Order: sequence, then structure tokens, then C-alpha cells
Amino acid sequence: MQSNFRNWPVLLVLFVFSAPLLIMLTFLLVDAFTTKVPGTMIPNGLTFHHFRFLWTDLDDGSWGIWGVTLNTFNFALFTSLSVSAISLTAGYALSRLAFPARGFFLGSLIVLHAFPTVTLIIAIFLILQLLGLYNTLIGVIVVKAALELPFGIWVMKGFYDTVPWEIEMAGVQDGASRFTVWWQLVLPQVQPGLMAILIFSFLSGWSEFILPMVLAPGTEAQVLSTYLATMLLDGGTQADFNLFKAVGLFYALPVIIIYLVFQNKLMNIYGGGTKG
Amino acid sequence: MRISIENFTKTFGDTTVIKDMSLEIRSGEMLALLGPSGCGKSTTLFAICGIHRMNGGRLLFGDKDVTRVSSQKRNVGVVFQNYALYPHMNVFDNIAFPLKVRKETRAEIDRKVQEIANLVHIGELLHRKPAQLSGGQQQRVALARALVREPDILLLDEPLANLDAKLRLEMRSEIRRIQQQTGITAVLVTHDQVEAMSMCDRIAIMDNGKIVQLSSPKEMYEDPTSDFVAGFLGNPPIAFLEGKAAGGGFRLANSEITLPVPSGITIPDHGAAMRFGIRPEFFQPNNGLKLNGKISFVETQGREELYDVMLENGAVLRSIQSQGAGHKLGDEVSWGIAEDRILAFGPDGRRL
Amino acid sequence: MQRSSWLGLAFLSPALVVVLLFFLIPVVLTGFFAFTNMSTATGVKGGAYVLNTSGLRALADAGLPKSTLEQIEGAGYRVDAKGLEALAADFGQPVADEFASLHDGEVFSKRRDVERALKDLRSNPIRKTRDRKIAADLFKRSLLNERFDTLPGFEAALEEAGIPDADRPLITQVAYTGWVWTTENFGFLMSLDSTWQYAKNTIIYVVFTLSFNVLFGLFLAIATFYLPSGQAATFRAIWFLPRILPPVLYIVMWRWFTWDTGFISTVLSGFGVSPRNWMLDTELHAWTTIVLINGFVGASMGMIVFSSAIRAIPSSMLYASEVDGASRLQQIWHIILPQLRWPILFITSYQTMSLLTSFEYIYLATDGGPGGATEVWALAAFHTALNNYGGNLQYGLGATYALLLVIIGLAASLAYLRLFNFRNLIQKPRIEG
Repeated sequence: MQSNFRNWPVLLVLFVFSAPLLIMLTFLLVDAFTTKVPGTMIPNGLTFHHFRFLWTDLDDGSWGIWGVTLNTFNFALFTSLSVSAISLTAGYALSRLAFPARGFFLGSLIVLHAFPTVTLIIAIFLILQLLGLYNTLIGVIVVKAALELPFGIWVMKGFYDTVPWEIEMAGVQDGASRFTVWWQLVLPQVQPGLMAILIFSFLSGWSEFILPMVLAPGTEAQVLSTYLATMLLDGGTQADFNLFKAVGLFYALPVIIIYLVFQNKLMNIYGGGTKG
Repeated sequence: MRISIENFTKTFGDTTVIKDMSLEIRSGEMLALLGPSGCGKSTTLFAICGIHRMNGGRLLFGDKDVTRVSSQKRNVGVVFQNYALYPHMNVFDNIAFPLKVRKETRAEIDRKVQEIANLVHIGELLHRKPAQLSGGQQQRVALARALVREPDILLLDEPLANLDAKLRLEMRSEIRRIQQQTGITAVLVTHDQVEAMSMCDRIAIMDNGKIVQLSSPKEMYEDPTSDFVAGFLGNPPIAFLEGKAAGGGFRLANSEITLPVPSGITIPDHGAAMRFGIRPEFFQPNNGLKLNGKISFVETQGREELYDVMLENGAVLRSIQSQGAGHKLGDEVSWGIAEDRILAFGPDGRRL
Repeated sequence: MQRSSWLGLAFLSPALVVVLLFFLIPVVLTGFFAFTNMSTATGVKGGAYVLNTSGLRALADAGLPKSTLEQIEGAGYRVDAKGLEALAADFGQPVADEFASLHDGEVFSKRRDVERALKDLRSNPIRKTRDRKIAADLFKRSLLNERFDTLPGFEAALEEAGIPDADRPLITQVAYTGWVWTTENFGFLMSLDSTWQYAKNTIIYVVFTLSFNVLFGLFLAIATFYLPSGQAATFRAIWFLPRILPPVLYIVMWRWFTWDTGFISTVLSGFGVSPRNWMLDTELHAWTTIVLINGFVGASMGMIVFSSAIRAIPSSMLYASEVDGASRLQQIWHIILPQLRWPILFITSYQTMSLLTSFEYIYLATDGGPGGATEVWALAAFHTALNNYGGNLQYGLGATYALLLVIIGLAASLAYLRLFNFRNLIQKPRIEG
């Protein structure tokens, strides 16, 4: 579009509204690495003191940052792997295979996709207790994977839908079974979808807070989100925001890296919409 | 391998696409299934290769009933309209896939792929990915992949539809050459009458899920059994004159002109509707049965010129003449019909 | 059945198991739990029968006759297997064996009688008075503080203690520690003033946040559409960050921003405004922060969806309108906005649903404060059932709160089904073999 309108009023409004975000982000970086004059925002020295949690124990009853990080990584990774694996098969079945009550399954997929799962958390809490999975990392992984699944299947089905039918027909004519056709001919075509779901559910697992807090509040299964939240909520008036920001930066590092690498892809997936 | 389709019926949900169709394809011949879109020709093709199940009837390859045999076991090679090459495999792997699925030895695979690649002239392209090939080359790869395992039958689903005009001409003769060289029974599905006429031994023309006529291209052109067939074949297409039987002749609609009906045609009862079909090459200035009209359209085709002539009653006849006749738009002309070439059709469209 | 059917079901089955376990069963269970008084005290797995002193008090208040109460307290001394086992453990098997051979099954009404019987044992008498007292107490059988795992066991004990038939149902009911079915949750909720407050809060929350999300999302999408691509990409990236950053970190930043030692306080102190917690000092500030916190996250979804919808408008249409002399505002109003009707409807319905049920950010930011001013329905359900200061988690009551959300969720999902034009989705697979 050519400029038949000056851009500066729009830019001004954008800047005003973006200001809180910009300030928060800037000081997230600044405060994590600096000391400052009390009562001002002005930094007066570089320090790594706020990152002391990496090499000393904060004596707050937690499991130590590295154990917590490992938990978070495992949580995100296994959530991501299970969601991807199950979506990969279920998406194909719903997209391509004929079986009884297929329409019904497709319908329920949409219903589940829209259904707010957090409303079920009380029941899930009780189910995990009955299954003996309460307060375990496995329990939270299973639940998180389950809640991510409708979205994963939905996205995967979309990717399968774009694979030309003729490729599968050709495979069948060439003498390959439906399974071989899926494994050797179709899967390579939906790799972008697989990547999208892996990344997306990894990020989603990495950031998840409510589920670990409710379903695995013990120290053994603590993850970075609950670690940081505990600090934040127990801080009271002595809140050490420099420490919080250092922990937060450490916590968000993988997210930021993934964001920088896959920015455009991620925007597309989030366009599909998962959280309000 | 002879293919016999007996009383084939196919339904999708509530709609019956094909009802009680029978067709026999001779061993070693190339047969075209020709018809407008939605006539059921692709459905028939998919039933032969097993992608569609038949709701009724039998399918025999030779003497073997394959109605319930799965696609994988029918040994039918198919070339799809968009070629359906596997995008992640190079040309060699594409062609080798059917052999790998059959667990043939490495040496066997190498030999067969090389052989078929030479037959379809793509020996140099084996290491390319499909995306790096031109349309014609992709077409050749698809042919090679369909033929490499020596299928009993080759099915071609609109194989030339995605090619540009020049390549289409080239591939037409290529496919025919390869089919004749291998001697394979082939079925070609197409909506293009030129393709069907130029490539095939016989044409089965389909309409509304039925085979309307089955014969050689020449016979079908010269001796169509219905106005539908006459209208479908020929480019530029045949022109029809509407009218009715009157006193042993053919009275043109909305006019007093009565044309004589050529001998050998049974004239229907007085007053019954009739149509005369006249191909452009048989409406010429020096033919005997003259009609007056005015040139309403001129199209220069290079070697030839095509004229539309509007008759006094508003009907339009087409004429194709060599370059240089020099007729102009709006000229009043009196050209003639070759009387023995008139195709007459009855009220139901059936040839008289 | 065709072979591909089996493959289809096999491919689908892992998803089916998970969905069954964590969607269908929870939905059904939420419905069930709403009709129970389940809580930390009752446990989940059902309960036992115990009468403790508080139970006794409750029975007295309920008008149980004094004589029955006394019967419950002092049911006497019984020589039974349990007591004998304890005796053998403390005083040796021979003592127990001899005592059993003489008095097995007897009931003594007073401890003195038991002590005498123990003293009178011929071969293994217990000599010390203190020991005899201890030994005698091993056989004391009171209904008080005795734990019965099954109803028949408890009823048998009542029978033995000679409790009058008429009093038994009441005693049984009081003694039961497990959960029971009840319909009282609904009435109870309706009677609470706070319930109506939660509903009001939820409406405020949804209406304001949603308006911010949609309007600002629209503004962002349109603004970035007209900006040069470099600037547009920068703003999109900035606005996308809140969505991608972990919620806990995002709230850390907001808390810092509004805290009494945080950004706003520090900056305003330069103008003589005393530092305060700008998030929690007044209800208005709390709501403003909550709406902005959620709005900054939500607007990016609108931005992305609207942006791609705007890009889908054929550029020839926009050029044509410019040639026709439309100003940019006219172009937005007449060309772009009409094209965004469906995306706006989608975002509105989708976000209404997720805002109704979301409580993560509010929990982390204000936790419903100050004084319950920002306690929304979903947060109340969460607090009641899973996270309250009293420590007695009321699952049943919480599930009753959640049930309303589940019903709204199901209704909205079905509406979704229509919106998605379901017929297009169930196209038949094209390979039939």
C-alpha cells in the first residue's frame, strides 16, 4: 500500500500501549544482571549475584535448581513425545482411514478441541489419587499430554489432509500395505506438522504451571514454573525481584531460543488458538 | 490380459454412479474411457484397480475373478493425473518402490529400473527429485513406476491433462509407443476426444454411468449411434439442425424449408421431432444440397478457417475450409451439405 | 470389516484410551462429585465408622438419650481374640493361653473384675497391680475411638453394646467418616453471597478482557498491516512475547511493575506519590491490572488471526478502493472490517470460553484479592476444591462450581461443531480397498 496516510499517529498509539511490555522486558534483562541505587531504576553495577541459585542452595526446601530443571525438561520432552506419537497415528486414522463411527470420532475431536479442560482438574486430581499417580511426574505428564492431545490430533489431521490422495493410491497400487504406505510414503510428507507439534507441545509443557502445582505439589516432582511461583507467592514483602528475574530468565531461556528460531512457524500454530 | 467387467454397479451413499455396466477389454489393446466429467469413467478405472469396491457385478482379469482381490494383489499399474510421484524420493527410488515392497534383490531392482528408465527415456534423471523435473519428465517417471513390475494391466487416468499443449502432443505418441512396445493391455481415461481418438484402438464413450457406444475411433466418428456421441467427437464440433419429419422429408424448425432425407434412413412418423447432424467438413460451397445464410462468425485457425453460418431460421451451421476462400463476416452465402454424410437422429437422440 | 478398519481403530486406540481417562471420565465424575460432600476429611475412597468425642457431642446435641451415650462410652471389658493377642504380646503367650482357657468370651462390666481374674490365674498370675491394670485395659471395649472398616462390623458392635435399635441410624450416620451423596451443595452455593459475587466478578472479567482482546487485537492487526514490514514485524514480535513466555515469568514482570518497590511506585515517587502496591491497593487497580495482564496475552491471538484474514483479502480489492478515492479509514470500514466478520466471531466465542474458565493469571497475580474482589468463578472452584487456607479441600463443593463451567463448555463445544461446518469434515476416505 502506498502511503496516503501518515503513520506517526498509529505508531504513537502502538508505542504507548507497548510501553509496559517494553519496560518489563527491558528491566527483565537489566535487573537480572545489575545492582541498582535503592529507590531508583538506575543500575550502578554488573553482577552475577542474582544467578547464585545456579551454584548455591537457596535453602528454601526445594530440590536444587538442576534437579528442578531436569524435571521440567523431562516433563516437557515426554509430554511432547507422547502427544506427537499419538497425534501421528490418530490424525492419520481420522484423516484417511475408514472405520466404524468415524464421523462420531471426528465430531468429538472438535468438541474436545473447544472444551476447556481446566474445568476438569478437580476430577483429574481425584482420578490421579485413585490411580496412585498423584504427586508423580509421570502423572502430570500423562494428564498434560492428554489435554494437549485434541489440539495435536487436530493439527496433524490438517497436515494429513493436504497429502494428495493419489500418493496413497499409487502406493497401494505399487503393492504396499496401508501401514507401509503410511510409514514410507505419507509420514515424510507431514514432517513439518510433526515438527510443529513437537515444538508446540514442548513449549506448552515447559510453561505449564497449573497442572504441576495441583497434581504434583511435592518437591520430588517440582518443575521450574512451580519453583518460581513458590518464590513469588511466598516472597511476601521481602520480594527479591532481581532473583525472581534471574530465575525467570534462566527458566525462559529455551523458550526464547525456540521463539527466535521458529518465530514465524509458531505464530501460525498459535493462530490455530489454544489459550485465551 | 483380457479384462471383463460384468454388471458393474457402484454407489456412493445414496447416489448410484454406475448401474449394471458391462465391458470387455481385449488383451493387448488400448481402450479409452471417454466422456464428460461425472460420467463415471474414473469410477470405472478405480474399480478396475481396486481403489473402489464394486457394489455389484464381477471383475475378471483373464479367467480369474478379482472382484474381491485387494489392490495390492491385482498387479495393475496406474498413472495418475498428477503423477503422484513420491516427493521425498528421487527418481530411482520412485521407480524402485514397487520392487522394494516386493522384496526383490538389490541387483534385480537395479537392472529392472535401468531397463524401464531406458524404455521411457529418463536414464539420465535417476538421481533427481520429482520437484526438479518438468511435467513431461514426471509423466515418464510415473509411467516407468507403473510399468517396472511388469503389471498385467496399465491404467492411465487423464495422463495428459496437466501438460501444456506441445508436450501433450509428444507424450501422446510416447505413451502409445511404450504401450505397443510392451504389449500391455491399457485403459485410458480422458475427457479429450482427440486424445482418445489418436491413442486408442477402441473407445468406450460413457454418459451418465452407461457406455453409450464402444467401437474403433474411425467407426465412432463416422457412424455414431446417438447425437451425444456425434456431438462429443470431432473438433470443431458437429452442428445440429432441429426440425421434424414432414411428408417424407425434414422440415426445419421455424421455417418452410424442407430437406430431403437421404436414402437408407428410416423416416419417423409425420410430425415427430428429428435432428440432422452436419460436420463442418461436409458443409462446403460446392456441395449439392444448398442452404442460404449469412456468415456470423469467422475464426482463423492458420491452415484453415472456420465459419459459422446463420440460416434464415436462426439455426447455425459450421463450415471448415482451407485458407484463402476469402469470405467475410456478414457475407450472404449459399453453401451445400454433402447429402450422403448427413447424420439423422430421432426424438430420443438415437441414430436413424 | 475391511482391513483398513482394523488399522484405523488400532491407530486411534491410544488416543481413545487417553481421551476416555482424562476427558470423558472426568466430565462424568465432575457431575457425580457435585452431588457428594467429598472433602479432605471424608477422603476419596469411602470411609470407616468411628465415634470420637466430637461425634459424641454431636449425638448429644442431636438429642440422643443420656443412657445410650453412656453405653457407647463404657461398653465394658471383653475377653476376645484381639485382647488376647495384645496380652500375649505384652505378657507372654502362656499367660494369654491360660487366661483364654478360663475366660474366653466372657464380658466383665468393671475393670476390677478383670484385674481379679488376671490375679487369680493359677500358673501365670500377674503380680504387680500396675501391670494388671495395664493388662486389664487391653480388654476394654468401648465404641469410642474404635475404628470399624465396614458397616456390618459397626452394626455388630452396636448390637453387642446393647444400643437401642431406635438410636442406631443416627449413631451410624454420625460415625461415618466417608463421603455421602447429597444434593445440598447446590442450595448451599445459591445461599452464599460470595457465589453471586463470583458470578459478578466473572462477568466483569470476561466483558472487559474480551473487549480489550478483540478491539486491541483488531487495532494491532490493522496497524501492522499498514506499517512498513520492518516496523510491523517488530511490533508483532513484541506482542507475541507475552503469549510465548511462561505465565509465571510473565506475572513476575507484572508484579514487579506494580509492586510497592517496583516500577510505577519508583517512577511516581519522583513526583511525590508515596509508594504502594498498585496492583492490590484498590479494587479498581486490581481489575485494571487483571484485564491488562490477560488482555496483553489475548490481544496477540486476535492479532494473528485477524492479520492472516486481512492478508487473505485480494490486494486488487484494496487497490480498487484506493483508485476509487477511499480514504484509509473508509477502506478499513468498508473493505477490511466486513471481511473480518467471521474471524471476529470466532475470536469472540473462543475467548469468551477460555476466559470463563481461566484462572492461572489471576491466581498468580492477585489470587482473587484484594478481599475477594477479583475472585472469579473458576478461581473459586479451584480455591474451594484444591487450594484453600483452611486446609479442608471441599471436592464436592468445588465440583459443584466446576459443573456449571463444564455445562457451559459442553454447550459451547456443540456450538463450535456447527460453526465448523461439520459436514465438510466427514468426507469419506477415497481408498476403499
